[in-house]
Amino acid sequence: MAKTPRKPPAPAKQVTPRHRRSLASPTRGKEGIARTYTSRPVPVEFATPEHRFVRADIEISGIFHGEASYEGRIFLNNPKADAKTPKDLEHGYAGSFHIFGHGGCLGDPGHCEVNEHKREPYDFRSPHPLTPAKKRVTVTEALRNIAKISKAVTITVVPVVTAVNDLCDAENVFRCENIKFVTYN
Amino acid sequence: MLPFNQLGVGRGFGDDGRRTSIGLGVHNLSDDQVAAFRDAYRQMMQINDNRGYQYFAGLHGVPSWYCWHHQQNAHSAQQMQLFLPWHRAYLYNFEMAMRDRVPGVTLPWWDWTLRSPRQSGIPNIFGVLKVGNQTNPLVTFRINLPNTSPALVHNTKRHPGNPDDLPAQSNVDDVLSRTDWNDFTDAIEDVHDAVHGWVSGDMGVVGTAAFDPIFWSHHAMIDRIWWLWQVRNGSGNISTDLLDTVLAPFNFRVRDVLNVNDLGYDYAAAQAVASAGGTG
Repeated sequence: MAKTPRKPPAPAKQVTPRHRRSLASPTRGKEGIARTYTSRPVPVEFATPEHRFVRADIEISGIFHGEASYEGRIFLNNPKADAKTPKDLEHGYAGSFHIFGHGGCLGDPGHCEVNEHKREPYDFRSPHPLTPAKKRVTVTEALRNIAKISKAVTITVVPVVTAVNDLCDAENVFRCENIKFVTYN
Repeated sequence: MLPFNQLGVGRGFGDDGRRTSIGLGVHNLSDDQVAAFRDAYRQMMQINDNRGYQYFAGLHGVPSWYCWHHQQNAHSAQQMQLFLPWHRAYLYNFEMAMRDRVPGVTLPWWDWTLRSPRQSGIPNIFGVLKVGNQTNPLVTFRINLPNTSPALVHNTKRHPGNPDDLPAQSNVDDVLSRTDWNDFTDAIEDVHDAVHGWVSGDMGVVGTAAFDPIFWSHHAMIDRIWWLWQVRNGSGNISTDLLDTVLAPFNFRVRDVLNVNDLGYDYAAAQAVASAGGTG
């Protein structure tokens, strides 16, 4: 198992006076605006042919989901992947996850601050709706293929934005705290 | 207008006093059923109090934010997997409000795995702009929330993707093959997320999704897949701690919504009735 830590999600954008007019419907994101994320090389000796496993997942935790919705396309050892890269093993495509974003902060200042760490011990209210999400993508075949020829792999996430509005950061779409491989045997 | 259980559709419950089923796909509704479905939406959209469309849509995202997505396991290691139970309670309350307007009407599911002539991407009944000389209430809804920040006053829109990009039956089969509850609910939620993104527009974000009239049939499909999974796996290994969690703002706990038959509907693929009076 290997970890690739990232900085915590940035706080959601707050409403500014320019947003006092009625918010328009979300649209699809323009290609090339959302930033692609690529991890440092992650050692994958645990997945070489002499190691038996029946399933391998990439687990992404601490995902910020307060703004745009997107498909996160995962490529292994293909840091140049973009939205046009074919989704096949030849190009390192391992699978996708989907984020159903909140569409930006539609409240007054502070509405989208999670603040779970400030809760009192007897605060039994439901968690904040923007408590970070976790996604798991099964990447068994892609990892097997790569591990035959590489001792380390990079994980690239290409966010393809499906719904975004004026309240959302269209560049920093994919934000998470941690990415790791998990294998099962 | 006849209630659906007298229209010869042959699905779900009929004469035993329970209400009829949700068990109708958008793709196989009769003309009368489509008319009843539209009538219920049209009437609800004209009501501004807590019986109306805007009230129910507003429970999901703006302005009330009751919906459950992802695991939201901030308090403990226990995973708060309430996505499926919460939306089942939500559908139930919405459908009952529909039936207050049009007795016997049911909420059909949108089977986005089908690639049929009546449904290339957005199903025709949700896409055609006019029905006779009236606007089609299944196309759009005017959100009227001038006091939110920012204000939300607009007609919902969609920007659907390529129909071939909708989840296929193989995706549903993959989801149904998962026997662990946590694994299953994560997988079906991701498919659900993909369809919201495919429709895009207001349906594409949590805040406004439920204002799009197609939202409810999309979630009926998700609820159906959960039921198909339950038929195979029972309730699965749902944490016992979770079973008594209240699904606010509805008067259900998780355990109350596990069996759709207890809620008065079914998703049977077919039903053949053998009436009393046979020989032998």
